[in-house]
Amino acid sequence: MKHTESELVDIKNSISEMWNLVQSQFEKAKTALLNSDEDLARVVISTEKRVNAFELKIDSDCENYIALFSPVAIDLRLVLSMIKINKTLERIGDFADGIARFVLESDEHGSHLELLKEIDVETMLVAVETMLEKTLQAITTENTAQAGMVFSIDNSIDTLYAEAIKKLAGHVVTNPNDALYVLHLMTVLRKIERAGDHCNNIMEEIVFYLDAKVLKHQKK
Amino acid sequence: MKSNNIHKKVSQNVMFWIFRIMSFSVVAILFWIIGFIVYRGIGVINWEFLTAAPEEGMTKGGIFPAIVGTFYLVIGSMLVAFPIGVMSGIYMNEYATNKHIVRVIRIMTNNLGGIPSIVFGLFGMSLFVNKLGFGDSILAGSLTLGLLALPLIIRITEEALKAIPDSYRHGSLALGATKLQTIGRVVLPAAFPNIMTGLILSIGRVSGETAPILFTAAAYFLPKLPSSIYDQVMALPYHLYVIATSGTDLEATRPMAYGTALVLIVIVLIMNLLANYLRKKFTK
Amino acid sequence: MKLEAKNVNFFYGDFHALKDINMKIESNTVTAFIGPSGCGKSTFLRLFNRMNDLIADTHLDGECMLGDTNIYDKSISVDELRKTVGMVFQKPNPFPKSIFENVAYGLRINGERSKSVIEDTVETSLRQAALWEEVKDKLKKSAYALSGGQQQRLCIARALAVNPSVILMDEPASALDPISTSKIEELIFELKNHYTVVIVTHNMQQAARVSDKTGFFMLGELIEYDDTKKIFLNPEKEQTQNYITGRFG
Repeated sequence: MKHTESELVDIKNSISEMWNLVQSQFEKAKTALLNSDEDLARVVISTEKRVNAFELKIDSDCENYIALFSPVAIDLRLVLSMIKINKTLERIGDFADGIARFVLESDEHGSHLELLKEIDVETMLVAVETMLEKTLQAITTENTAQAGMVFSIDNSIDTLYAEAIKKLAGHVVTNPNDALYVLHLMTVLRKIERAGDHCNNIMEEIVFYLDAKVLKHQKK
Repeated sequence: MKSNNIHKKVSQNVMFWIFRIMSFSVVAILFWIIGFIVYRGIGVINWEFLTAAPEEGMTKGGIFPAIVGTFYLVIGSMLVAFPIGVMSGIYMNEYATNKHIVRVIRIMTNNLGGIPSIVFGLFGMSLFVNKLGFGDSILAGSLTLGLLALPLIIRITEEALKAIPDSYRHGSLALGATKLQTIGRVVLPAAFPNIMTGLILSIGRVSGETAPILFTAAAYFLPKLPSSIYDQVMALPYHLYVIATSGTDLEATRPMAYGTALVLIVIVLIMNLLANYLRKKFTK
Repeated sequence: MKLEAKNVNFFYGDFHALKDINMKIESNTVTAFIGPSGCGKSTFLRLFNRMNDLIADTHLDGECMLGDTNIYDKSISVDELRKTVGMVFQKPNPFPKSIFENVAYGLRINGERSKSVIEDTVETSLRQAALWEEVKDKLKKSAYALSGGQQQRLCIARALAVNPSVILMDEPASALDPISTSKIEELIFELKNHYTVVIVTHNMQQAARVSDKTGFFMLGELIEYDDTKKIFLNPEKEQTQNYITGRFG
């Protein structure tokens, strides 16, 4: 392999590592939320720094690659999409951090686990995890066959989100004392829904890199 | 406008034809000479003519001693001129850093090449034959002919070396080779074909010269072959001169003269063709 | 520290070609010199194997160090120096000999007689130059039967055969097509594992691709010398920026 290619492989490997890190963050945040596990939430928050450091490293790797190797065609698309995916992954990492902070600060020590079950947060979280998994697969196998599946998962998250909102509204009406908690929980739901959107964007970037097709702003 | 054009065309055509006729006439003259010599000389060429000594006032027999003599003189003159000429050429192109000295040497050698050959003969006689006491001999004749060939060999060596790109020299020097190694292992081998061509051309030149050996080496008639470099020899061009002008019976020796001329021309021709062949072969 | 220039000034006659240059080059790195034509980068490169000595009426002030020795010291043998500091030229310049003899040349001038040593070194050098597989069946053929890119790799093999520690390259790929160029670049990148490589190039992308450090020359001055990444992402000097972005002049 030429050394210019091996530089690209290094970038790809870095982003896969970043991916794994973000996945594990999200998975831990999910477990912490569903079990109100404050220790685990603290782990997520302290690990967030690593995600940020990773983002900076990949950013500078990509900058150097462009500066030194003047990539064109598929190499250029790869680096451009890496820069965007990198940023997006970092945002998803932020969401995991936000969920962990919710567990520590607003969860009221797990007194509402019933409510979480009722609005089916777990399904939403698992759906985001699946999207992260599928997109990572797409980039490592360089295959966009599952792009449609990823997009449809995002749609189902949106549906779940809309239903959860309705349920929460009903809950506030019957339990006015929970209003503050519900408002905080809203931001968590919002983050999960946004994480789904971000995975969507990642998939679009992968399609741009591999198939040179621009999917952004075309659907819906 | 139009008539002007026609005028131009006509003058173009006329000049073109003049040039063409001139160059064809050179070829025609050459063929005429060769044809004439061959026509008149071919009759006497046979095995005996090439291998026997002249007999009966040169009206019979052959020209073997003259062929051998020319051979000796050519070898001798090249032994003199080749090392000196090649080494001077190397000095001028590879070593001399002072451009002015090189120019002076070059002008001198060119002038040397322009001196009439009879002057070389006189010079050779006074220096080699008389002053150094070599007498009329192969040695004196070879030295004189060598001097005659020297300018040609120097010039050809210089040109051959000049044609070697500096990138070879730099490549060799950059590998840590000394200048002498560079010249010996890269430059000379690369220039070798062209230098050889020069050598052969000068052999052709030397083998046809009469004047320089007239007073230094050539004998009118020798019944035996030379046995040392201090002996006189017969030589083809001089032999031709002799039997064409001062034989006992000019009418009887005439065919022998044409035969000798033919042999001489063929030798020179072969030399030139060989030079051409080598140049083509090595430059491939 | 492999190579170092200390307050180097160089003159062609009265022309001040290099002005007060200081530079340190580390072992086992690739260093690239870039800059517009006539900026002195090639002159500077040739100082390190004293090829400028071949040009009449030149003059050097300052010191050029190879390790701890000043290579312009009177006690230094230029021939020996050039065995340590090899050079590859802009135009491939194999000798009009066979492929084998081209590589063996450096050994033969060193007086190496052993056939097996020569054969081994020729093979190793050709392998290092990534040429062995292409020529192993035609070593006896003329070097000029090779393509331009192969000829240049042959010249690199020839330089490697005398076991130098530094290799200077003067625009080694400028006469080659893109594929040969990329092969040469790949080779340069490999070579730094065993050698210190200094390369002059007109092609900025090439400098960016292969080198660890880059020096930018202009009008005989070393304008900027830094990590290649730094030079190409965030140069200190405006002149450097203008040159590498093509806004020069």
